[in-house]
Amino acid sequence: MTDATSSAPAAAPSPAQHASLLSESPRMKKRNAAETRFKMYGVIAISIGLAFLVFLAYSILRNGIPAFTQTVVNVEFTLTQEQFDDAESKLLKTAAYTDIFVEGVTAQFQEKGLNVEFDGDTIERLLGKVGGDLRTFYRENPDQIGQPVQLQLPAASRVERYLQGRLTRDMVVDGRFLEVADLDVVDVMVDAGIIGSAFDWNFITGTDTGVDNPGGAGIGASVIGSFFMMLVVLLLSLPIGVAASIYLEEFAPKNKFTDLIEVNISNLAAVPSIVFGILGLAVFIQFAHLPQSAPLVGGLVLTLMTLPTIVISTRASLKSVPPSIRDAALGVGASKMQAVFHHVLPLAMPGILTGTIIGLAQALGETAPLLLIGMVGYVAREYPDGLTSGLLDPNSAMPAQIYTWAARSDEAFFEKAWGGIIILLIFLLTMNIIAIILRRRFERRW
Amino acid sequence: MEDMIHVDRAMSTQQDIKISARKVQVYYGDTHAIKDVDVDIDDKTVTAFIGPSGCGKSTFLRCINRMNDTIDVARVEGDILIDNEDIYDAKVDPVQLRAKVGMVFQKPNPFPKSIYDNVAYGPKIHGLARNKAELDEIVERSLSKAALWDEVKDRLDAPGTGLSGGQQQRLCIARAIATAPEVLLMDEPCSALDPIATAQVEDLIDELRQSFSVVIVTHSMQQAARVSQKTAFFHLGNLVEYDATDKIFTNPQDPRTESYISGRIG
Repeated sequence: MTDATSSAPAAAPSPAQHASLLSESPRMKKRNAAETRFKMYGVIAISIGLAFLVFLAYSILRNGIPAFTQTVVNVEFTLTQEQFDDAESKLLKTAAYTDIFVEGVTAQFQEKGLNVEFDGDTIERLLGKVGGDLRTFYRENPDQIGQPVQLQLPAASRVERYLQGRLTRDMVVDGRFLEVADLDVVDVMVDAGIIGSAFDWNFITGTDTGVDNPGGAGIGASVIGSFFMMLVVLLLSLPIGVAASIYLEEFAPKNKFTDLIEVNISNLAAVPSIVFGILGLAVFIQFAHLPQSAPLVGGLVLTLMTLPTIVISTRASLKSVPPSIRDAALGVGASKMQAVFHHVLPLAMPGILTGTIIGLAQALGETAPLLLIGMVGYVAREYPDGLTSGLLDPNSAMPAQIYTWAARSDEAFFEKAWGGIIILLIFLLTMNIIAIILRRRFERRW
Repeated sequence: MEDMIHVDRAMSTQQDIKISARKVQVYYGDTHAIKDVDVDIDDKTVTAFIGPSGCGKSTFLRCINRMNDTIDVARVEGDILIDNEDIYDAKVDPVQLRAKVGMVFQKPNPFPKSIYDNVAYGPKIHGLARNKAELDEIVERSLSKAALWDEVKDRLDAPGTGLSGGQQQRLCIARAIATAPEVLLMDEPCSALDPIATAQVEDLIDELRQSFSVVIVTHSMQQAARVSQKTAFFHLGNLVEYDATDKIFTNPQDPRTESYISGRIG
């Protein structure tokens, strides 16, 4: 280094003509500074994007995770044979069971030195219809009579929110759902150490409930609804989309008419989805008289929406197959169709699959068109009992269910909506992973 | 120039005319790419098309197996007869024509399939083999003819795209001859190859002359001199001169040909 620098002036008597390579010229400095600045902009842009992503993931998880757990009251309870016979002989059987339960729990509290007065109505407000559940349990398991039984009773959503500190005593106005005195009982239960939490399988597998029971609401039925819609979308849009693309790209004459079709397909991809919704309402429900809120109609509407995406991505991947492959196939005397199906299509497959799955993922998360065909707001209380029923019976879909929950006045549904978003994101993530795996697998076949 | 022509190729006296072109015009949209080309190409002969870039030699070559049909704006006029049949007749199916007139492209373009499938594809779609044994035989014969059999016989299941450039081009030649064509068109087959691979392909072309009429487009005048018996010189869409190769290179009639082969134009 020292040699080079010391000899540089000697070797370059006129610096203007023979600039040393070891020092940056002013122009080079400017160019390097511009490059550094540009890289900085990029890093800043990515950082902002990542920050938003992290914030989004954090708030979704923070708000959504509670939807997967549920506050439960763990009680050890023993029913004697006499109590059973006594309750069964009464006219109001479930009320009798509730009274027995109240007696038993009060006795347990007193053992621990806790005193609180409460009746069956309180228990029903706090823990739901305990009496009926107990009766069903003992009638089905008569051998458990006389044995101590561990009961895990889900607490009402208001109890849950009271325990989380989101509901205070002065917020309680409507005595139908909760009275202020009930909260004293809750306090005692906390002191007794019988309140815990458990994973709420019902949220994943259950069906929607009415507006008065946020705790029991589950997303299961709408997952099935979404599944049937995606089935319709996949079965219709993949063959139609791929066939249309192959025809347009490889066979159709290039003229004004096909240009017009091409422009329209590109424009369709940008049409707001609610337009497809109103189209679906007019064509499928009002004209074709298909049932309202049916996943079949939802799937048809979403097919219309997904088709342009699939056509565009399929055409792009067909275009990206090198023309030399077509030449090669035609050169050995393959017909156009043989060239396309034997050589071009296999090479375009990864792109087609990726486009299709992205289109499906888009359709899975679409809410606006479902608003208009009646899937939003439909309370999916039942599971379909087969393929026909799955397609034709009214149901909801995941995004529609989330929208419905978020629109309900009871705050407890918000947490369900966030939880629903987590489930939806898990499905989307799975679909994207499948897309990546399929692409890898097909690309490996050189 | 003399030293380039190291083989004195004696023209056999009685040559059958395989391809005969009369007043061929090709238009790309408004561009008149080929003007009034008349040429008779002999059977079992290597014919070279030379000329500067953009002179239309590849375009004319692609007319002979109607590959220009795949270009929407291309329009061909005039007559091209193969064995006295007009290949642009409405009754001719270009797909059937291309089985008879094979083509090797400038860039090696093997299918992204196995070496075996590359060669077997043509015979399969044309139904040239009744069973697997026959197909195996066609594949072996074609690869042997293309001087590739010894190099690949142990890895016929390997991807054709994994071969070296020269091997890929010979694979493409094997693929082209597997359908038993009568004419083999080669569009600058050696432009992407190194000198060793070029020499192998040139030897191969000389051998293929036994069975086919070979038409080769080349940028290299040395190559034209080495492999061909007849040479056609194209310039700006015109066929300037067409004669025996040694005559073109030693005693060109047209001043444009002379300028080109002595390196003054092109």
